[in-house]
Amino acid sequence: MAFYEQHIHEAPKTFLKKYVFSFDHKVIGKQFLWYGIFFLGIGGIMALMIRWALAFPGVAFPVFGNFLFPETGGVIPPDTYSMLFTLHGTIMIFYAITPILIGCFGNFCIPLMIGARDMAFPSANMLSFWIAVLSGAVLLASLFTPLGGAAGGWTSYPTLSTLIGSPGVGQTLWTLAIFILGVSSTMGAINYITTVITLRAPGMGYFDMPLTVWGLWLTAILNAIFLPVLGAGCLLLIFDRVFGTHFFLAGAAATSGNGDPILFQHVFWIFGHPEVYILILPAWGIVSDLLSFFSRKPAFGAKATALSMTSITILSTLVYGHHMFTTSMSPLLTQSFMTLTMTISIPSTVFFFNWLGTIWRGSIRFDSPMLFSLGVVFVFGLGGLTGLYLGTVTTDLYLHDTYFVVGHFHYTMAASVLLGGFAGIYFWMPKMFGVMMNEAIAKVHFWITMLGLNGVFMGMLFVGYGGMHRRLYNPFWYDFLQKLIPINTFITWSAILMGFGQFFFLYNFIHALLKGKKAEDNPWNVGTLEWTIPSPAPNYNFKDIPVVKCGPHELGNPALPEGRDFQYQTEELVKA
Amino acid sequence: MLFFDSAKAATTDLDPVQQMSFWDRIQPPVDISANGHKIMDLFNYTTFMVIFFFILVCIGIFGFSYFYSHKRNKKPYYTYGNKKSHKNVGLAFGMAVFILIDCAITIQSNNDLVNTFFNFPKGEEVVRIQVMAQQWLWNIRYPGADNVFNTDDDVVTINDLRLPIDKKVVVQMTSKDVIHSFYLPNVRQKRDAMPGRLSRIWFELKKTGEFDIACAEMCGTHHYIMKGKMIVYTQDEYDSWVKQANQVALSANDTEDPDLYWGWKWEE
Ligand SMILES: [Cu+2]
Ligand SMILES: [Cu+2]
Repeated sequence: MAFYEQHIHEAPKTFLKKYVFSFDHKVIGKQFLWYGIFFLGIGGIMALMIRWALAFPGVAFPVFGNFLFPETGGVIPPDTYSMLFTLHGTIMIFYAITPILIGCFGNFCIPLMIGARDMAFPSANMLSFWIAVLSGAVLLASLFTPLGGAAGGWTSYPTLSTLIGSPGVGQTLWTLAIFILGVSSTMGAINYITTVITLRAPGMGYFDMPLTVWGLWLTAILNAIFLPVLGAGCLLLIFDRVFGTHFFLAGAAATSGNGDPILFQHVFWIFGHPEVYILILPAWGIVSDLLSFFSRKPAFGAKATALSMTSITILSTLVYGHHMFTTSMSPLLTQSFMTLTMTISIPSTVFFFNWLGTIWRGSIRFDSPMLFSLGVVFVFGLGGLTGLYLGTVTTDLYLHDTYFVVGHFHYTMAASVLLGGFAGIYFWMPKMFGVMMNEAIAKVHFWITMLGLNGVFMGMLFVGYGGMHRRLYNPFWYDFLQKLIPINTFITWSAILMGFGQFFFLYNFIHALLKGKKAEDNPWNVGTLEWTIPSPAPNYNFKDIPVVKCGPHELGNPALPEGRDFQYQTEELVKA
Repeated sequence: MLFFDSAKAATTDLDPVQQMSFWDRIQPPVDISANGHKIMDLFNYTTFMVIFFFILVCIGIFGFSYFYSHKRNKKPYYTYGNKKSHKNVGLAFGMAVFILIDCAITIQSNNDLVNTFFNFPKGEEVVRIQVMAQQWLWNIRYPGADNVFNTDDDVVTINDLRLPIDKKVVVQMTSKDVIHSFYLPNVRQKRDAMPGRLSRIWFELKKTGEFDIACAEMCGTHHYIMKGKMIVYTQDEYDSWVKQANQVALSANDTEDPDLYWGWKWEE
């Protein structure tokens, strides 16, 4: 129901206009992809350094340890360790997952899947990317300040993140970087929301949109509402640090003023809980679509899936207090947050049921995007279920701030999102770059990643249950954690395996870009709008705006003529 | 190889640790509290539910992948999943999750919270402790012979908490600088110690011995060494220690030093 027509302009000729300052949503999507992959690499190396310190305390980090830490003979020092886990979290969440899942897939898929020629606001889109680059530069610059980068955890709770706990300018730059990134993402979010509302192809109702677009759209709504809240919190923190205000300062060490550090936690988690859904919703959407495409049958209960994703989106705004159960909130608040948190399990059950219903009695093709999607169902099952322990107040009193939490949120935010992201890359590679990736290498990549990540995150659940708390430079300082050394070593080896597995992806990806097999227009035989146009997608996508006549998951219809098992969204639904 | 040696070096002098099975290794530290089992019981119930529902998910993933692979099933079943029977099965799963997980766990946890963990004991029988966390140690204060806090006879220690068995203990805490978290793994509880706020935790100990106090909230570079000791005495041992400590405090406390008076008035 496009509200207005998007004109086709001539394709840009110069390199600068074509690849750098491009208005084209497809190019901006790819830019976000490079950006995300770059930071994914950095965040991944940081993760390995953290794991190294935990499994082999006091042992020099191999390969470049001596170069980075000459004073300690290659051993990661404790203050650097704090920086590593702080920046690992920050980078993975804001600079790797967000650009890949939201920046890349959001930009690339939304217009193509709803039959638009570009985003509603192409120049805001470009600006959003370049602001993200600025933010990344500020973040990286913070590492080279005299006292080093931020080291207060990605949550950066005051008063640790105020001058009391982190006097260095690195923390200020970190906060500034997050604020700038918030501006970039909010801009992107508003663009996505507007695009989905105003630029759907004629005939496409909201329930005719692929579930990928649903996921991205809901994510954008959450982003637009809650990133400004985080931005406000960051600004107040910057004021406290730079201008001497006392929003978050209290206690004997704060010589004047009586602010409240817990205020920041409220602000942070009002944003922070929706943030986990911001990251996972696009992956849910992608998986919901891919399961249907590769089972060759319509998505089971697609409407219910969309609606349960919507209700989770709404619920996610009401439960953030479960991150603060140990702060002695009032019992009434504690109980309310627990009850609300538990209700999330009901819509979750609905779409899990629908996912399994989709592959039930399908005719499943195990191409790499499908493998990764099934992987998401598996790991998100574990991630979601382990959340029960943490949404329950009493068990949380024991498990809060232990590795159990770390294992849980890595299953939901890291494992599921990573696998969902890979599924998307393998699936849309032909439309993005016009080439196919190698299936055999992709499958090796899948199994190594799956093995590695389950070793890591399952191991974390176990050591957390054993009582090991988070963010310890050397956990073996405590007697009761001595017995967990071998499990920590096992986790580290699993992490190394997982890191190693990513080279298969890198090789496959680069090889495909350089001399991959040329892709057909519709290699997966699915009917959504992006597959009705040539691969790679041409300038302004659609020469004629398509008219949508059926849903996105019309596969396996027995009424279809011999030799076809799917139909395009532009075709009238074939009835028996 | 280098890294193997060091991991071994750390464990060789703890022989029993090396012989442990995986199952023993992942067990939480011994539960010494009167109510910690309530948390563990709910944990175990949740674990049964998690395993049950995750097996269902796995049956779906692996079973369907096996039976409905392209090789075995050429003709997919064309359905939108909107038949009455489909909806009923979905509803059944939703109800099962709602009753077995949501209701059961929430009600149990809520009862434990109201009746036990947030139901703070009162009165003279209760052992009262004040804790002031700071980077990176625990300041601990006993009220002394007069049972009033922040007076000249208070017993003040660092990282050294001694408590009697079978008594209800209430710890009030705050922090001098950044947020810390008072974590007693053997009691299965933790509570944040926050600057500018008082928080509290209560428990009752059922085993004598020496146990760790840990800081669970990231509080700076040396967060990992912020370790205290909790020694649990029998009532007799405790009484004689208190008596002796009170005497030492009376003579050793420097009443001119304002830093001695970091405590606060006890309010229940
Ligand atoms: Cu949350
Ligand atoms: Cu601490």
